[in-house]
Amino acid sequence: MTTNTYIAGKGWLYRFDPRAKLLLMLLMCVWFFLPVTLLHLALVVALVVLVGAHSTGWHHAWRTVYSISPMLLFMILFMPFNVREGVPLVSIGSFTVITKEGLEQALRLMSRFIGITYVCTLLFATTVMHEVMLTLRWYHLPYKASLVVTLAFTYIPFIADSFSQISESHRLREAEDEQKKKVGQRLKDLVPTLTSALVVALRSIPNLAMSLEMRGFGRQERRTSYHSLDAYHHVCTNFLLACIIPVAFWLASMLF
Amino acid sequence: MINALSIEDLSFTYQSWTEKENEPLFRALSLALPAGSKTLLLAPFNKGKTTLAKIICGVCPKYFPGELQGDINLYGKSLSDLDPWDLLPVCTYVSQNPQEQFVATSVEEEIAFPLESMGMERETMHARIEEAITQWGLQDLRTSSEQELSGGERKRVLLATMQAIDASFWLLDEAFDDLDQHWRDQLKHLIATKDKTVLVLASRYLREFDDLFDQVLLLDEGDIASGDRSTLISRFAHLCGDDLPSPLETEHIQPSQKRILSCKSLQAERSRVSTTKSKQFTLEVPDFQLRSGELVTLVGPNGSGKSSFSRLLCGLDTPIAGQITIDGEPFRDKQLSKRVGYLFQSPDLQIFLPTVAEELSWSLKRRSDLSKSEIESRIATCAELFSLDLEDTPTTMSYPLRKALQAAVYYLLDRPFYILDELDSALTYQSTLSIIAHLRRNGAGILLITHDRQFADKVAQRSYTIKEGRLIAV
Repeated sequence: MTTNTYIAGKGWLYRFDPRAKLLLMLLMCVWFFLPVTLLHLALVVALVVLVGAHSTGWHHAWRTVYSISPMLLFMILFMPFNVREGVPLVSIGSFTVITKEGLEQALRLMSRFIGITYVCTLLFATTVMHEVMLTLRWYHLPYKASLVVTLAFTYIPFIADSFSQISESHRLREAEDEQKKKVGQRLKDLVPTLTSALVVALRSIPNLAMSLEMRGFGRQERRTSYHSLDAYHHVCTNFLLACIIPVAFWLASMLF
Repeated sequence: MINALSIEDLSFTYQSWTEKENEPLFRALSLALPAGSKTLLLAPFNKGKTTLAKIICGVCPKYFPGELQGDINLYGKSLSDLDPWDLLPVCTYVSQNPQEQFVATSVEEEIAFPLESMGMERETMHARIEEAITQWGLQDLRTSSEQELSGGERKRVLLATMQAIDASFWLLDEAFDDLDQHWRDQLKHLIATKDKTVLVLASRYLREFDDLFDQVLLLDEGDIASGDRSTLISRFAHLCGDDLPSPLETEHIQPSQKRILSCKSLQAERSRVSTTKSKQFTLEVPDFQLRSGELVTLVGPNGSGKSSFSRLLCGLDTPIAGQITIDGEPFRDKQLSKRVGYLFQSPDLQIFLPTVAEELSWSLKRRSDLSKSEIESRIATCAELFSLDLEDTPTTMSYPLRKALQAAVYYLLDRPFYILDELDSALTYQSTLSIIAHLRRNGAGILLITHDRQFADKVAQRSYTIKEGRLIAV
């Protein structure tokens, strides 16, 4: 029910104060919506992925992009058709299929989506969950709300984990003479796996609620914390950096 | 003397989700446990042992709807006036299914969570957590997440949490299962030496129970029976069918083909992503063989790699070196998955569909050679064999019944080889043996992973163990 998202490592992102890291994450998410050129946007996303992959590894970067690939596919397939005004790139007779503007908009949307997703997963991949919780509490988010946020971020990978376990289980139950399946059959087979993953996810909710209550969630007395964020040094420098990095990207996009 | 737990006239019936009304699980059940007593409550398969534990913890019927009547008092306080979180300093429950109890993302956090709920000072928490972690051998796993732990390691985390909370009443549901001999001895020592009220619920009588308890009780027919210990144990054995001849003795195995599953110079490795401190897990299998009709056991300490080896054998993971062959021919990935059935340690990872009938028919429906009536006939026979109700909802079935369903699913697949990962955990010996006999009816080779050495010695034709990352024959 509580799949860990943390990937142990020693890069600078791991040493960065989580409070400043959360601010940096939010500022970067805002940055991706600034009116910059597509090239600048793509370059910043590429740089973020490069820096992040240096800390958490290329496997993590690939998995993040892979997990959102169905959404990316939909964007690239359908977005260009929505924007009909502009310079035609592909036409059938007098009918314009894809315009330059449509393609640009699709690529911009994809870059933003990859950027936001990767920045968010990077926060949870380089920060242990109890530090995320402490950070949210430092920002005066009530304990219950902080718990809900962290549980939500562990619940998504839990569903993904359940999905792979169910796929494995279904794979182990295939008939001996079952032949290699066509794409259509494979898509059809996704339905029971997805349904099962949903059932598992729904079923785990009362179990988690039960376990939380048995572990004292709901008690009236003030909750203490085993960990603290005292181990992080140079907090002010980290906050300054968290502000400088997006501003530096903005200035660079204006200058070059 | 005040009773730690007193139950009077308890009746409970699960809410029915179908038109058929459920039978009451308990009828006017009464129980009194004096403070400081150590009690073993034996309960045959599917008699409501876990439900009773959850009622005592205040989470049933709250999360498992049903009709509850009767009075329950914990240290003189009525349970009806208390919420589950109020019981935290009073009663700790260790579930037979450790996965359902994890709330945090690392071992250390899991132990710290209830202590934080109690508002404990950091220094006190630190002392308790360190003691519990050291005592349960979790030093290298403190940052590991639940997914990175083996079944036995998960159980140790729950026991460490129980020790750190230091409640006055310990409620342990099949707590010895999943643990290897070293940790079983440690739990036994802890129960014997700590001044706690302990109630252990078990569906099998283990030799660790000898001389550990002040009283032994039996849960049967919705009520609790007390009396002479040896009489109760004999009655329990009779109810579990342990006095019947072993199904393995009466079976007539007729392998249609003599097949051999073997591994040579197999190597695998895995690292824990949540820590950079612990060394990489490695497994080496110089030589392993499983023949048709054989029953071979694999025993080894918690976290030694038994489940990892199973995943290799059934093609879910790929080795970094070596080969797996069937009758001398190399097999891998999906080809292997279709020949080696693997019953996971936790049945909940393998059963997902809304009804038993749908679960059993899932694989059969994918076969083009079977008609609808043939499928129906097969699943009906199978359900009868494994004592399952086709209309039952797996999620509301007891843990042993879910295990039986998991086995029934594989029975219908009729694989030439099976790996049974701790099948005996939470099942009676007789149920375990009859499942093995059913799966072996056509001469399948069985690899049984177990922590119960006594049981392994009794049933196995050959045995393997894993020592320091190396699988060897014993």
